[in-house]
Amino acid sequence: MIIQSKDITKPVRESADVCIIGSGCGGGASAKVLAEAGKKVIVIEEGGYFISGDFDMTEQTAYQNLYRQRAGQATDDLAVTVLQGKCVGGSSTVNWTTSLRTPDFVLKQWSKVFDIRGLSSKDLEPYFDRIEKYLNVHIEPEENHNPNNRIILDGARKLGYTAQASGRNTRDCKKAGACGLGCPFDAKLSVNVTYIPDAVKAGAIVFANFRADEIDVSGPLKRVFGSVVDQSTQRVKTDFIIEASVIIVAASAIHSPALLLRSNLANSSGEVGNHLTFHLTSAVLGVYDRVIYPAGGIPQSALCSEFLNKNNDGGGFWIEAVPVYPTLASLAIPGFGNAHKELMRQYTNIGASIVLVKEIDSEGTITLNAYGRPSISYEFRGRDLEYLKQGLKLAAEIHFAAGAKRVMTLHSQKTEFISPGEIDGALASAEWGTNEIALYSAHPLGTCRMAEHPLRSVVNSHCETHDVKGLFVIDGSVTPTSLGVNPQMTILAIAEKSAEWIAENRLKKL
Amino acid sequence: MDGYSSRRRFLKETLFGVIALAAAKIIPLDSAHAEIASEIQQQLKFFSPLEFLIMKKTAERIAGTSSDGNAGTDDVNVALRADAFLAGADPEIQEQFHQLLTVFNGALFAFLFDFRFTSFVDMSPADQDSYLKSWMTSTLSFRRTAFQALKRISLSLFYTDSRSWNEIHYDGMFLPWERGK
Repeated sequence: MIIQSKDITKPVRESADVCIIGSGCGGGASAKVLAEAGKKVIVIEEGGYFISGDFDMTEQTAYQNLYRQRAGQATDDLAVTVLQGKCVGGSSTVNWTTSLRTPDFVLKQWSKVFDIRGLSSKDLEPYFDRIEKYLNVHIEPEENHNPNNRIILDGARKLGYTAQASGRNTRDCKKAGACGLGCPFDAKLSVNVTYIPDAVKAGAIVFANFRADEIDVSGPLKRVFGSVVDQSTQRVKTDFIIEASVIIVAASAIHSPALLLRSNLANSSGEVGNHLTFHLTSAVLGVYDRVIYPAGGIPQSALCSEFLNKNNDGGGFWIEAVPVYPTLASLAIPGFGNAHKELMRQYTNIGASIVLVKEIDSEGTITLNAYGRPSISYEFRGRDLEYLKQGLKLAAEIHFAAGAKRVMTLHSQKTEFISPGEIDGALASAEWGTNEIALYSAHPLGTCRMAEHPLRSVVNSHCETHDVKGLFVIDGSVTPTSLGVNPQMTILAIAEKSAEWIAENRLKKL
Repeated sequence: MDGYSSRRRFLKETLFGVIALAAAKIIPLDSAHAEIASEIQQQLKFFSPLEFLIMKKTAERIAGTSSDGNAGTDDVNVALRADAFLAGADPEIQEQFHQLLTVFNGALFAFLFDFRFTSFVDMSPADQDSYLKSWMTSTLSFRRTAFQALKRISLSLFYTDSRSWNEIHYDGMFLPWERGK
């Protein structure tokens, strides 16, 4: 059963074996595993519940209904736009389908540095196999790559670099390009059309527009206190209390630590909210003599990951295509006014590639502002900045190899190249301070990190908090480092494995 | 990269910011402005009439001039939609945006940094462009942050409206040559 705030007329009081806060990859996968194990599961989701018929493939509707702060969530200094879903299915409802396993070098680092157990490549392989089958993860045939993705494939290969198709979790994809706006064809096998319906079939109850405000673990049962929110006005209608033996916090690397901080829980290490990483992202735009139409076709189906961990330092970058809807384009294109408008008039001839950095020196924090909401701060520095510059240079070279007539970065002060020979000089003289280049993240990670030592971490290898038995965090906030790949497969695998452990070790007698 | 500053502190992190805020309070915040039609003023939920005018003129300059027959920021009511959007925003965002508009438009601040003796809304379009550029490229990070906030709200409200799409030749999802297949 899925219950929305419009169905609620009075305070809600419920109890369950497990209360899961958040319905994205972490929460959705946990819900399915535990419901199918016969446990009574309640999922609460702050965002709304939408089905394919609600998706009209426009940014206006999508940003209003499906994204945190209408796609305006950002670090406190506005330097990094942090795109997250806020709806049933979480960010999986609005991501671009790229489905990649956690790199082995990352999992080895987790084991060696953080003493994490049970999450080696070998341990996770059966989970990845099962999830890839469940979500129909596959590679697109060559003819399905749109012109924007072909820039990476053709340009990188022409330069002698490795570029390949990336896995996608779709079935009967119509190649509309609307992955980031909600798939109106149910072709994208995101959590809202897979894990959540299967959890519901197995008896789980999902409450949408239910915002968790605080968790209390002082009684015989743990309790989640929260507010039922009207979807259209976002005003509080009434309140709820859910009691459960086990609570799983799966509200993302931004909101999970905020909830724990508000609740004053699980933070004896002082690490809740620390070690935020972003896969910090910027982009290059190429202007072509031919139509690219960057919003149409499969948004993301290829990547160049040759420079990930190339120096064996755990860092580096990778390059992917990005669907450039009109509003995204307008915010990314440097400058303003008539010069900006002139570039926007060439919208259909613009190709765009993002450079994502796997951080090794940079990190941020989540704290609470005066209203009890997350305050996001982040500092980008050291080798990561150098990797970003290298990535932008490579991306620009790829665009030229693919036929671009001019290429630009997202610097406020226009940084444009007419030929590959101009790239080094232009990047050397560009400014890299706060809000001097447009930066993004769709992969916030790390703020309730996992490790076996309780002084260094928030959760153990099973995602249980060190401080509170039966209180778990299962989402992107548990990764102790950034990943170097789009995170949904990692989070799903960790979630399925952890949920199995919970069923066996914390709920066996229930 | 330089260090971060919190959004709540962006006006206060420099001495100039403190002075500008203090000076702004001396100048009346809400002078009824003859340029705003009364029916618009009655609809406002967040902006004062002056703030509405600031938003309107800022959006016009940021989005640029539309070519003949194509919708501009007034045609898609960017400022009015910004009012509705901000009326539903979190209180901390509302507070900061009121402050931002006050400082951005303030004649004293314009003088301190650009030696202009007029408020933003009273500048010529060319001067408004020059003033915006000074915020965009400022060596002070809080001014760059403020510019980004104004750019975000102006352009997101403009380009999410389908009336703005004709000029950029965007006509929806699917690759043009695959529609109807």
